[in-house]
Amino acid sequence: MRRFLQRHMSQIALSPSLALIAIFLYGFIAYTAAVSTTNSKAFPRFDNFVGLEQYWRLLHTPRWHVAFTNMFLFGGLFLLVTISLGLVIAILIDQRIRAESFFRSIVMYPMAMSFVVTGIIWQWLLNPTLGIEVMVHQLGFTSFRLDWLTNPDTVIWALVVAAFWQGCGLVMALFLAGLRGIDEDIWKAAAIDGIPAWRVYVFIVIPMLAPVFLTVVVLLALSIVRSFDLVVALTNGGPGVSSDLPSVFMFDMAFRRTNLGLSAASAVVMLGTVLAILIPYLYAETRERA
Amino acid sequence: MIDIRVSNCNKSYGSLRVLKDINLEIERGEFIVLLGPSGCGKSTLLHIVAGLDRLSSGEIEIGGRDVTDVEPKDRDIAMVFQSYALYPTMSVRSNMEFGLRMRGKPMSEIRPLVEEKARMLHIDHLLDRRPSQLSGGQRQRVAIGRALVRDPKVFLFDEPLSNLDAKLRASMRTEIKKLHQSLGTTAIYVTHDQLEAMTLATRMVVMKAGEIQQIGKPEEVYHRPVNLFVADFLGNPGMNFMKGHLRLDGGRVSADVGAATLPLDGYAFEVAPVAGQAVVIGLRPESIQPASVQMSDGGAPYALTLKPILTEHTGSDNLVVLAMGEQEIVGKFPSDMLPKLGEPVAIGFDLSRVSVFDAESERRI
Ligand SMILES: Nc1ncnc2c1ncn2[C@@H]1O[C@H](COP(=O)(O)OP(=O)(O)O)[C@@H](O)[C@H]1O
Ligand SMILES: [Mg+2]
Repeated sequence: MRRFLQRHMSQIALSPSLALIAIFLYGFIAYTAAVSTTNSKAFPRFDNFVGLEQYWRLLHTPRWHVAFTNMFLFGGLFLLVTISLGLVIAILIDQRIRAESFFRSIVMYPMAMSFVVTGIIWQWLLNPTLGIEVMVHQLGFTSFRLDWLTNPDTVIWALVVAAFWQGCGLVMALFLAGLRGIDEDIWKAAAIDGIPAWRVYVFIVIPMLAPVFLTVVVLLALSIVRSFDLVVALTNGGPGVSSDLPSVFMFDMAFRRTNLGLSAASAVVMLGTVLAILIPYLYAETRERA
Repeated sequence: MIDIRVSNCNKSYGSLRVLKDINLEIERGEFIVLLGPSGCGKSTLLHIVAGLDRLSSGEIEIGGRDVTDVEPKDRDIAMVFQSYALYPTMSVRSNMEFGLRMRGKPMSEIRPLVEEKARMLHIDHLLDRRPSQLSGGQRQRVAIGRALVRDPKVFLFDEPLSNLDAKLRASMRTEIKKLHQSLGTTAIYVTHDQLEAMTLATRMVVMKAGEIQQIGKPEEVYHRPVNLFVADFLGNPGMNFMKGHLRLDGGRVSADVGAATLPLDGYAFEVAPVAGQAVVIGLRPESIQPASVQMSDGGAPYALTLKPILTEHTGSDNLVVLAMGEQEIVGKFPSDMLPKLGEPVAIGFDLSRVSVFDAESERRI
């Protein structure tokens, strides 16, 4: 008995969480997929199988197209802005500056806030009658306009800026840890070889951070998919449906429009999209490391 | 001709004094080894010569030029690190080329140069690999190659072999020695390994806690250590130390070490001996052998009859622990001579190799 315990302790210890994951993650993924093949309205019902009809309807819903495109637009811009600026800030802080921990804390603080708080803060800041626009007007620049929240063409930038403001700290911290982990001797060798610092970063140090990039991309990708609360707090999908994201669409269909079947179909499409992007990336990255 | 001059060099990190008033002159073509226990400031001194660390006070000259405030890249030096410090994202070839490209040398000159040095180091078949695809020994060769192609005035090595296994270390040691013999470039080599120091150095610098203890040829430092620290640090197994005091009988000096009185007639005292002075007599194990074995300079060795209390085979010879009154000493016997434990044997002492230290100041007298 003891030997059995000793040998299988790790499995025994892990099994409750494995069971929970199996039920609440994979179980409900399967459940959602099942619901998406039904004509469920307010409640899930399995007596009205409709096959792939919900997907067909999804494909012909203009609002879904806006939301789906927005996810890529918002996601792409957010990844680009956050990774590049996060890296630049990390490199600046890595220059052994004075008051390093002060600057580090400033960048990291927004991380402590939930997306809802971030959304509300930026809603105030970007509000033409309350925030930055009024401040700049008071400084005398009365022609200044900051109408991101009310202009359907630029509202996506409001989302990007707010999400960056929150996500930047984590990205910076990860990159900074990566930079600090690089063998000091590499820098010394480069100094003796006479390689300018920016070249060392571009050709040697940043390529060495590839594993950190992987972590950052995965974390940011997750927060893109989860950014439901940010959108609800900041723009509520508006103006119109111009800042809709699939997560908002899904929520709306499920709980306001009582169209559970369509909502489930959109959830499955979202999952499929995320996997289609992440799996090749993870595969390539982990294989390169091995 | 002096190639490197370090004058009154001090280095502190906050209140920690890492280097204390270091003075060192290195002739062109010398292979200087900095030896000392870890944390004694060897790397710091090397980094200061390289320009990677600023000194707190003092001056550095390389090739007759004051380089105290000169950037590392303009000092005409190349360095090899313990961790190899290869650029992991570049091929071996690019690693070797990069420094030259930065100096604006045309590719048409760089290519053949890199290939020549790579052949010399037997890494020409590895040129298109990444450092991560190489073994430790190969990586260190690449690091040496990267330094070689620069054709610097001075080579700096910071424990380049410490990450290699014993066998590889020995063969790389020989190669570095050959390389130095054929190139004749001035080199400073940091190590905590006394075997490396003894075999590579034309002169070695023994350091302790930020201070230079002794500078000299390896055999000089080995046979005539200036203090107990140097005597103890060099040699494996270490030097035997016998506590005693001096006797002066009408012009003849001897040392009473309890179980015996060792005549010191042949010893060249640097400081006039005083009767009754407390001393430590140092004698290396290889100078303590069976009386039947002929030792260094012919003359009849001083002999004592001692009891072996422990023996150890090392393969090439036998280490024999002998009881000498209260104290224990280690002798090195030929491998075919294994004394029986507890049976007294006649032991010869080669007193021409003896070192005498003042017990209080621990300095050689
Ligand atoms: N950047 C630094 N900051 C503070 N102390 C340092 C620094 N670099 C080295 N030291 C200290 O200086 C001493 C000598 O270091 P080092 O020259 O690396 O020794 P060695 O190479 O002989 O092992 C050590 O006590 C080490 O802790
Ligand atoms: Mg060191």
